[in-house]
Parts: sequence; structure tokens; C-alpha cells
Amino acid sequence: MNAVAEGVPVRLEGVTKRFGAVLAVDSVDLHVPPGKLVTLLGPSGCGKTTTLRLVAGLERPTAGRVWIADEDVTDLPAARRGVTMVFQSYALFPHLTVFENVAYGLRVQRLPAAEVRRRVMEALELVGLPETAERYPAQLSGGQQQRVALARALVMQPRVLLFDEPLSNLDAKLRRRVRAEIRMLQQRLGITSLYVTHDQAEALALSDVVVVMNQGRVEQVGIPEEVYRRPRTRFVADFIGEANLLPATFWEGAVEVASYRFPVEQEEVRDGPVTVMVRPEAVVVSQDASGLPGVVRTVFFMGMTTELLVDTPAGEVLATQPYRADRRIVPGEQVRLRFEPAGVYLLPAEDGRG
Amino acid sequence: MARAVALPQTRWAAQPAVAAWAAATVLAAAALPWGRAGRDLGSWLWDSTGVVLASGSLLAAGVLLASFAVLLAGLWPAPERTRGVALAAFGACGMALSGLLLGVRGTPTGPAGVLAPLGFLTLTGFGLSSSGRWFVDPFLSAAVLWAAAFVALFILLPLASVVVASVWVDGRFTLEVVHRTLTSPAFLALDHPGTPHNELAVAAAVGLAVAVGTLVLGWYLRWSRRSLPAGGAAGLAAAALASLYLGFGAFRNSLLLAVVVGAVSTALGFAFALLSERSQLPTRRLLGTLSALPIITPPFVLGIAMLYLFGRRGFVTYRLLGVSTDVFFGPLGVAVAQVLAYTPIAYLVLVGVVRALDASLEEAAQTLGASPWHLVRTVIWPLARPGLANAFLLVAIESLADFANPIVVGGGKPFLATEVFFAIVGRYNPHEAATYGAVLLALTLTVFVFQQRWLGGAFYVTVTGRPTGARPQPLPLWLDWALSAVFVVWMVVVVLLYGSVFVGAVTRLWGFDYTFTLRHLQDLHPQGWQVLRTTVQLSAYAAVPSVVVGFLIGYLVNRVDFPGRRALEFSSMLSFATPGTVMGIGYVLAFNQGPLLLTGTELVIVLAFVFRNMPVAIRAAVAALEQIDRSLEEASTMLRAGASTTLRRVVAPLARSALLSGLVFAFVRAMTAVSQVIFLITPQHNLATTQILSYLEYGSQGRGAALASVLTLLLVTVVASLQALSRRLDPRTAQLGAG
Repeated sequence: MNAVAEGVPVRLEGVTKRFGAVLAVDSVDLHVPPGKLVTLLGPSGCGKTTTLRLVAGLERPTAGRVWIADEDVTDLPAARRGVTMVFQSYALFPHLTVFENVAYGLRVQRLPAAEVRRRVMEALELVGLPETAERYPAQLSGGQQQRVALARALVMQPRVLLFDEPLSNLDAKLRRRVRAEIRMLQQRLGITSLYVTHDQAEALALSDVVVVMNQGRVEQVGIPEEVYRRPRTRFVADFIGEANLLPATFWEGAVEVASYRFPVEQEEVRDGPVTVMVRPEAVVVSQDASGLPGVVRTVFFMGMTTELLVDTPAGEVLATQPYRADRRIVPGEQVRLRFEPAGVYLLPAEDGRG
Repeated sequence: MARAVALPQTRWAAQPAVAAWAAATVLAAAALPWGRAGRDLGSWLWDSTGVVLASGSLLAAGVLLASFAVLLAGLWPAPERTRGVALAAFGACGMALSGLLLGVRGTPTGPAGVLAPLGFLTLTGFGLSSSGRWFVDPFLSAAVLWAAAFVALFILLPLASVVVASVWVDGRFTLEVVHRTLTSPAFLALDHPGTPHNELAVAAAVGLAVAVGTLVLGWYLRWSRRSLPAGGAAGLAAAALASLYLGFGAFRNSLLLAVVVGAVSTALGFAFALLSERSQLPTRRLLGTLSALPIITPPFVLGIAMLYLFGRRGFVTYRLLGVSTDVFFGPLGVAVAQVLAYTPIAYLVLVGVVRALDASLEEAAQTLGASPWHLVRTVIWPLARPGLANAFLLVAIESLADFANPIVVGGGKPFLATEVFFAIVGRYNPHEAATYGAVLLALTLTVFVFQQRWLGGAFYVTVTGRPTGARPQPLPLWLDWALSAVFVVWMVVVVLLYGSVFVGAVTRLWGFDYTFTLRHLQDLHPQGWQVLRTTVQLSAYAAVPSVVVGFLIGYLVNRVDFPGRRALEFSSMLSFATPGTVMGIGYVLAFNQGPLLLTGTELVIVLAFVFRNMPVAIRAAVAALEQIDRSLEEASTMLRAGASTTLRRVVAPLARSALLSGLVFAFVRAMTAVSQVIFLITPQHNLATTQILSYLEYGSQGRGAALASVLTLLLVTVVASLQALSRRLDPRTAQLGAG
């Protein structure tokens, strides 16, 4: 199972899925480039899992087409799409050993025993669990179970690998480690992957491309840095990381928030009212004369950083400051806020989808 | 290793199955006989093969053509969807033509008439699946069609035949039989002309009195607006009950019996359920055996025992008390026997309800200062009410359907279930029997639909088993003692009754000569043993198909989305709510002539068992499937397993113990079945239960008791070994868990 570069693309064209009166997925267009890992990110109920299941063939779209490797697979059952899936619940067969779990799909294909044995052990070595082969899933830890599930999906040499919130049942530390392993394996094997998660940190860390979904629609598609730094809608700004969204006016290359005016270099912005998105870490708190005036309401000590809630004429602003022992800010203090350009982005004033 | 990226997409592994089915269909249609010479299943008419018939019959030629078309469509290297459409179309054609051919010929069906339509049906399913119209696995697609066909043929058709037979006499529609039957005093007489007073008037007076009483009570308790409707309802109910009580006829007997037995059994069941969950007395441990009793009790056992203990020369009544009485030989005796038989059913339903009464709710109410009476009225009663209603309705259905007790202890009084029997066996009038059957069916279906609709269709006990921290409140000591006393009395009666049957089996002549003898047991040779062997054999034949069909239907209705899913679910549970006598006469009417002639064969008995007991397996399957995480099946699908592989390798192993108990209970139910097969047996295929009845009819109670004892012991052994086996299976499944 060495690195192979030739992945296949996945494409969704106007895919819609209704469950009775509920519109779960609303004309979604999506392109997963060959060999890349694309995450579907969104809050629960946004249609991301349904989209994944439509690609898997576990659901059938109400409208639209699904393409894998330039072949229309919309009417093809799941078993024939050359796609495997890693489930949130692991979905390991409790009555089979780890070996038999991984071997399951190969046995379905009636491969010779020797080949089954070789490929299963290869897959288990790939996820670092060759010694667990004879155990039952219930005897493994959660992280080990999820890695067995990954081995079971990989052993099939799928054209596309699907992940349905695979890490959400693991604790925070383990999640980080398995996340890194998944990314490493995926890149090494070059398998086109679609990954569903509601955890924005996971999405940013893992993906080649992030697809942000909301209410059955795609809100934004982009590389992680782009969706973080240049969110197209209030929803994306708010959902990915923390964001201060302040009403403002833009004219002549600068934006004015309350009385604080500062230059912004952003193309395609028309003069008039806008919404300024400011990341908390881009807020500089000082006692200078310039900047947005405000009064500190609350101070949260977070360890490495300190979080401040500041009341300003433009509204409440969250600021994250590196912790400094020599400079304590206390509630009630009068401060000035300045915004660093790297963490500032202008959005249309009220796009109604906040 | 090399990556196999491109999968062969247009042609795939399901195709060998299509080719094999198509070839089998062609073979069956062409080379096997479509007709039989007579009842005998082996009497194949070799001059009625498709090839022979095709020269003389356009229909037969058409069927052959369709079978070849299906074969060609299966092998045709066209795009999959096109081929699917062709398969489905030709398959449906073949089905229709085969049906027509069988209908036009009108003679008993031979092997081709079974295999060819099944082949066409399967291929239609495969075709629908690959046509892309229906996003379902080919196996499941065919399975849905199979299930629908079986349910239609072996549940709906017999039931429809009953209804039709009541209004279709000598080739024309008439309501005469229905009218004559329903107006006869044997069916229902609310005012007996032979009595001096008018019963209806008395009933109306009672109703009026109750209504006035309720109004007065309402005025006294200041119900204000509610008292008028309450008074009216109470009055009507009282009048109805009074007229039932004072009335005559089979309808009245059965209905009154159902109401009384339902109420008493529910009350006792609730008391025992309270005991088993909240008692502090040692008698509590005996309650486990209580729940197993109805399963292992063959019909007639309680009836025989009632006669032995409380009959005219009964041990208790005559020997101990010195009275010779017929009091227990009639509706009262039937009621006692039914209460004894069905209290465990109510108990099983209610034990779940009592367990679900969350103790923390009670504690919450008590911390809010509620008095015990207030607690019962505002917390316990509202929570237990649906369960109580459920238990009542289930027992009412059982009571209405009961055949064995009324026929033995009924003292010649008419009951709906027994009138069906006597109309056929005594009066040779199938139309009257059908009318009684239709009435009985309407009654039980009403109760069934009511139960399904208003009580969420929990036709079986579900125990969530989620433990809460709070320990249930023990019963107040006086209540604990009182209920335990009732239970002890109940237990003593049960032990006496069962014991009397066992003792009766080795007693020379009960009531007259109580000396020990083995004569009755010896007299079972050869007939009794022969019959017992046939019963075991046929029940065993039926058990596996019951479970397979039931499990498949349970899986389909639980996991697969297809049009008509609810209809399939409802129809398959129908056979559970249908009284056995009705199903029995339905089988006689539906399978007595024409291409479907099956009566007089072993097969029809096995089929009756299969479709009667299938709901047991459906319930087992549904209960087991609810424990299995769907993602396990999806994982199997994603690993390219077809639905049949998933069922075999994932679902079945995880549902193993449910499958096993479904198998055993299907077997046990077949062993104890009587009413649905009483019309289907022949001298060659007599069954143990019906043999007991004929022993009783011919006055050899000793032999009846002997056979009943042997049957009971056999069933105890079977159920006990099941429990031992599932205990051995359980630790493993418990350790592995699900999901």
C-alpha cells in the first residue's frame, strides 16, 4: 500500500435531498479534487452528513447528480461505488475479531485466504495495531477502535474515503493525535477524501479545502486560511473561530467604526455601510490616544492568553491578549482598541444570514 | 501493492444470481408439471409440463415465452438500467400469465405452478432493483415482493375468503345467511322471550339509576361542568353491561367473558407486577415461573383440570365439599380457566409498566408533600393507565379468540369461537361458520386497531432497562401481605390444577376410582405416540420457515423503505390478532379447491403454523434490531457486502439469541396450536392437541390427561433447554455488546 498519486475526483451537481418536508441538502455543487482531503464543516443539522451519505450511496438524492471519477454514480448502490467510510460510532462488528473486521470486505470479494491475510496485516501495520488482530473490538480503547475502523476502510483500497465525524467520540488529546495520523496516511496514500466535522479546529488542521455548510447550503469553499481570514458571510466568520462583527462605514479606502477610522486594503468593496469582522487576536488593547474607546467589562485569565470583554460605542468587543505579568488590565479600566489589518475583513453590511 | 482503481461498474456480481434464477424459471416453466392429479402433493401430472401444454394453450405458450424473455434479458449485455427495466417488465408479465394459466386450468397446482411464479417474482425484484427506479439492494427488492406475496396468499386471502363466504352463497351475493345468523337467539338475544321480565327494560333501568347516581355524586363533589357527560357515559356503560349480563347468545357470552376476564386478569396482573417489583416478602421469587406458564400450557390442560377439581364429581366440589355442581361447567368455569391462563400475559405487560414507573418521580412527588393517595392519583395512575389499557385489550383479544376452554368447560353454551367450529362440524354450514368468523374477526380487529392506534402499537413488552439511581418504594406492609396472600392462593390453585392433570393421567377413573394405574399411558400406544410424533415433526418443519420469514419481514419493515411498508407490517401482524378458528376456517375456504387445493395435506398444516407463528419471530426480530446500531449494517454495505451477506454475517450473528428464542417459541406455539388447525387435520395427520380433544369427546378423560401431561412435560423440557442454552450464549453477547 505505497503512496500512489492517482486519486479520482468527486463531483456533486445541484444535489438536493428532501426527507418529507425537510430540505436537508439544498442544491449543493461540490468538487473534490483527486487525492485531496475536503472537509464539510457546519453546525449539526446543516446537511453535511447527509451530503456525505449521498456520496456514499447510503441515501439517494431527490435531485442532482453525483460523479465519482467522471462516472455518474447517482443510481449506483453504495456497494458498487468503490467508496468506503469511517463512522462516528466506529461501527466495528462486535462479534468479529479485529482481524475479521478488517478482513470483512475482502472476504465479501472472496479473495484467496493468503491475500486476505497479507492485506489485513498490512493495513493493521499501517495504523500501528498489528498486535491487536486476535482481540475483539470491545477489548480495545476508543482510539484503537477508530484506527481499526480506518484500517478496515483502507484495506479495501477505496477510490474515495469518507469520514463521518470520526473523532467526535474521542477525548481532546487523543483527537489531536488520531487527526494527525489520518492526515499523514491520507497524504501518503493519496486517497481522495471527504471529511465531515462540526469542529472548526479539526477542519482547519486537516483539510486541503474547507466547505462551510449552513442550512443545507454551501456558504463558502476555500483553503483553510482563506475561510478563516476572508469569510464571505457573517455565518462563516462567526462559525470559524471567534469573530467580532461590528457595524461600520467604508469610504476612500478606510473604514470607520464608531469614531475610529483606519485604512483597509480590500478589493471590491463599495463605499457605504459594511460589517467589520475583527478576530479577537487582532485587537490591540492600549492606553494610547488613538483607537476605538471602550471600558473593560470582564477579564478572563486563560493561561497563555487573557480574554477581555470591552464595551465600546460600536458594541461589545472580545480581545485576546498574550499574557503579561507586568501589565494587568482590570475591569472598569478605560482603554483604546486598535485592529491589526491581518485580522480584519469587511463583509456586506447585513446579508441577513448571520 | 497495486491499487485497483477502476471497478467493473456496468456488469457485476449480482448477474450470476439473475442468470441462475432465470434458468431455473425456464426449466420449471418448461419441464415441470403445472398440474397435480389430486390432493396428494406428489401426484404430478407429467402430461402438464409447459412444453406439452404450450401446443394446446396460448397462455402456456405465453408463460414459456416470458420465461425465455427473462432469461435473455438476464444475459443481455445491455446497460444495467435498460436490462433492469426489461427484467422487471418480463417478470411481471410472466407472473400475470402464470396466474392466469393456473386459474384457467383450475386443477391443483404442480411444482411448476409454484416455482415458475416464484422465479418470475424474484426476477421482477432483481429487475426493479437494477432499473434504478428503486434504490434497494436486489436481494431486499426480491424479498419485499416475496413477503408481500406470501402475506397476501396465506394471511389476507384466507381472511378475505371468510368474509366472502358469509355473503357469497351458491354463486351469488346474498345477506340472507348473515341476517339469519345475526338475528338468531343463539347469536344474541337481549330480551329472552321465555323469561317473564323484559331484560332490556331492566338494563335500561340500571343504566338510568347509575346515570342519576353519578349526577348526584357529581353535584355532591361539585364537578359542575363535567358531571353531565360523566353521568351520561356512566349510565350508557352501565346499561350496556347490564344488558350484556342479562342477555343470551354467543355474542353476549364471548363479549361479556372478554370484558370480565380482561378486567380481572389485568387487576391480578397489576397486583403481581407490583409484587414482583416492590414486594419484600419471599413469595416474590415464585413470580418468575408465573410468566412461563402460558407458554408451556397446552390447550385443554386447564379445562381438564377444571373438570377434575370443580366438576360435577370434582375433587374439591364433590369429594371435599360434598356438592355435585355444574356451576363451573359454563361461562363461569371458562372465565376462571381464562383468568388463570391469561393473568400471566397481563403480568408480563404490566411488569414492564411498573418497572418503568420511575422511582425518582415518586420521590419528587413525596418531597413536594404529596400524600400516598394523592401520589397514586396524580403520578402512578396516569403513568400506568396506558399499560393497564394495553393489558386489558390484549387479554380481551385472547379471551375472544379462545377455543379450547369454552369447548371443554363451556357446558354447551355458545361462544363465537366454538360456534364457528360447530357450524362446520355439527351443522355442515360453512356460510354460517364464516359469518360467525367474520363477526369474531371484526371484534378482535376492532380491539387490535384500537390497541395499535391509541396505545402506540406496543403489542409486546418493551423494557428500556435504563436504571435510575432511586430505589423503588417498597409496598406498604399491609398491601404487601394482602397481595402476597392473593398470589399464594393463585399459586395453590394453579399447582392443584396442573397437579390434578398429572395425577389424573395415572388415576383409574377420576371422581369414582382414585387407584393408581399406568393404563392410560399404555393406552397412548400406538395412536397417542404416533400423533405426538406427527406433531413434533410438523411443528419442527414449521419452526424454521416461521423464523426466516418472520425475521425477514421484521427486517424489511424496520430497516428498508419501500411503498406499502406499513401495509405489510399491519397485514403480517394481522394473523396474530386473528382468532385461530377464523384463520382455520379461512384456510379451509381458501385452500379447498382449484389451483390452491392444499387441504388434506401436511403442507397446509405447516403453512398454517408458519403464518400463524411468524409474528412471534417478527417481534423478536424488531426487538433485536432495535439493539443493533444501523451503522453496523451501513459499514457492511460500504465494505461492498450485499444485503443478504449483511444479514447473514452481521445481523443474524448479533441477533442470535433472539433468533433462537423465536425458533423455540414458534415450535412451542405450533405444538400447542389447536383452533387454527382443527379443520385442517386428517386421520393421517392428527395432532396432539386435537387428539386430546377427541379423547375428551369420547369420554376417555384419563387418556386425555395422559397425553396432555406428556405434552406439557415435553414443552417444559424444550423451554428449559432453551433457557439453559441462551444462558450459555448470553455471557458472550453481553461481553461483546453491540455497536
